[in-house]
Amino acid sequence: MKAVMVFLAVALPLCARDKVQLEHDLDQIAKVATVMVDGDVCQRILTPRALQHILRKDPRDQWADGDNYDVDDQAFITTKKTLMRLAQLANYPVDVNLWMPLDGAPGRIHVVIRNRYEMSQFWKWGDLTQPTPPIMQKVLEFGQRVGVEQKSGYVSVLAPVRNSLNNIVGLVEVVSEIRPNARENVK
Amino acid sequence: MWILRNSLPVLFLLAGACHAQQLRALQEYFRPDPFGGIVESDRRPGAEWLKQIDLRAARGSYASFHLVVNSKASADYKLSVRFPLPVDVYREWFHFNTPDSKYYPDALIPASLPYEFQIPDAGNKIAGQTAQAFWVDLWIPANTEPKTYRGEAIVSSVSGNQTLPIALSVIPAVVPQDDAVTLDNNSYGTSWLVNQYPKTLAHFDESAASSSGEGQLIHLIHAYHRIFYENRGTFHQLGYGHAGKVDPEFAPELAGAGSQMHVASWDLFDRHYGPLLDGSAFRNTRRGAKPIPFMYLPVNPEWPASFLWWGEPGYEAEFVNVLSEMERHFREKHWTGTKFEVFFNHKKRYKGFPWDGDEIRFARDNNYFRVYHRMLEKAIPLNSPVHFAMRADTSWTAAQQFRELEGVISFWVVGEGELLWHPDAIPRLKQHGDIVWTYGGTPAVQKVSTEITLNPLRSWINRVDGFVRWQTVDPGPDPWFHLNGGDLTLVYSGERFNIPGPVPSIRLKLQRNCLQDLALLNALCTRDSRKRLEEEVVRRFNHTQVADWSNANAKLPAKPILDWNNADFVDALKPYEARFANLDPDAWLRVREFILYRAGGAK
Repeated sequence: MKAVMVFLAVALPLCARDKVQLEHDLDQIAKVATVMVDGDVCQRILTPRALQHILRKDPRDQWADGDNYDVDDQAFITTKKTLMRLAQLANYPVDVNLWMPLDGAPGRIHVVIRNRYEMSQFWKWGDLTQPTPPIMQKVLEFGQRVGVEQKSGYVSVLAPVRNSLNNIVGLVEVVSEIRPNARENVK
Repeated sequence: MWILRNSLPVLFLLAGACHAQQLRALQEYFRPDPFGGIVESDRRPGAEWLKQIDLRAARGSYASFHLVVNSKASADYKLSVRFPLPVDVYREWFHFNTPDSKYYPDALIPASLPYEFQIPDAGNKIAGQTAQAFWVDLWIPANTEPKTYRGEAIVSSVSGNQTLPIALSVIPAVVPQDDAVTLDNNSYGTSWLVNQYPKTLAHFDESAASSSGEGQLIHLIHAYHRIFYENRGTFHQLGYGHAGKVDPEFAPELAGAGSQMHVASWDLFDRHYGPLLDGSAFRNTRRGAKPIPFMYLPVNPEWPASFLWWGEPGYEAEFVNVLSEMERHFREKHWTGTKFEVFFNHKKRYKGFPWDGDEIRFARDNNYFRVYHRMLEKAIPLNSPVHFAMRADTSWTAAQQFRELEGVISFWVVGEGELLWHPDAIPRLKQHGDIVWTYGGTPAVQKVSTEITLNPLRSWINRVDGFVRWQTVDPGPDPWFHLNGGDLTLVYSGERFNIPGPVPSIRLKLQRNCLQDLALLNALCTRDSRKRLEEEVVRRFNHTQVADWSNANAKLPAKPILDWNNADFVDALKPYEARFANLDPDAWLRVREFILYRAGGAK
């Protein structure tokens, strides 16, 4: 019995993470992300053609926006690699997702890059764009990092992404789970 | 006279009591409803209620029919079947179908005989139910003596017994083990199993990569492979998501990075795939132990190589290291009966990667396939007995991909409509040794029963190797009382009936019976003219000619493919699909009659 208790004491922290520590780690990553993510490159990811299809709904084809979704490979890859490196600042599963408002669609935002654990507190599976959540709107307007715990078991920190004109052009969602699910989100 | 006159009411009462229940049968394509009728979509001329069953079938196959017990009075019943060959009986569940607010039988719950039941069925909760239906499978082993076998179904209640004679004429022909058309049933991940089997997986902790309950999960996965295999299908389960997350049991555990990346453990992967790849998971099935013929590898842009190194030497090092180890491991295990597929399912709209792996629309995305093909060639020895294949699922740019990725892709899964616009591509691809399948959906329960046979037959007529139903294990949140058409499933969770695994559906059984007929038909081509057989089959199926099944001369939109949308596709396909509208429910029965006749079972 003693041996079992000792094992549990060692094993549990490996599965379920301490929330305070998690919030601290994610905040640190988010802080670095604001410095490291290049907003100008991010602005080149979505192609003008894709944006056109998102903005102009095709009444004959509800899937036309998704079918025409396209990105600039180089801008996407460069940014994704930065996000992946940021996630490696923690030694447990963390995703750093990029979100950007849509030019020409006030009040709407879209996730531009997701990462390997497919975690997010905001993305509804399959949605190409969505209304900007008020908490994201706040980050885009005031440029402050904010912690979010709206989805049970998840912790996120949102941080602004700036371009060379010092404009806030997007935000990162640095996200993890207190108890990561090895099978969730594989669809 | 007085005695007779006064006895008459008593005699009528007795007669009425003797016939409190009625036992009747229907041919397999006429599905019963819970009120003593036939479902509207199958209610056509030829839909006859039968007082006896008289079937013909080849050896190595099933013969099937519906048994229906009608009763206006609420009572308890017992069903038994006496027959000299193996018999499987299933109770048919009547689903309330939300799209048209009608009842359809579909899920089949295995029934041990004698089987006790009530009408109305308290579990099915149908107001005014007056009929309970059963699906009966007669299994004819390949070594059965060809002759007529006789038996009977008996339903008994307090008011007496009713019998229904069953005669099965077994012809000498044997249905080949191998199918003429591979009917593939597709699925994604494992989280749906957790949702559908809360009791069975009660001890399974899905959040953990390795836990005490994973044995039950693997057992369930094998059960899904078995149910499709037993019904002449294959089962594909994709083990990764659109941004590259891999379910733990679908990939070996990796360690290290860059040139040091290697497989740290095969344990969970081998427990999952070992019995499927050596065939032992299919021991004790009627079709016998055989390895699964196809399997998705977990390879995606984020596995085994980290996308962090894409375009750098480290990406190739990680990819080649792990794929080489896989080849070696599979070779050492003698897993040489399976085609291991490098298949990319992701789409850029799901924001994981900058290119479409599935249904490429932008031609430049083909370059990524070339890179993976080059790395795969580097990883796999030229003379390896283990079979790896680059697979592409394609629609928009199919014709372009056939040209541009010749020699890169060896396994094509093509939108059926798109492929038929380019019929010359099929022989050209097959000449290279490529596998060619088409893909599509699953007919909803409210469609005419015969619709489930259309894609398998069309595949055979157009000489493609297989057909994929893209989702076949998602019955929706409440399939028992609010089925949403059932067009995403061919099986149901058995948990409601204390069965810790999937139960089949009528549509799955109809499809199986069609596939066994096609296998027999295909075998006939070795001695008969295939062209003549095809003409007669399509004439009987829907009064068409083989030329009607081609769509080579379709009028396509005269604009670049990037300017097409789904509506253009649908419009371009409409004239072709119209040729297959309004199928008769007995269309396949006419085809089967011909196949059995040509196989030597003349009646």
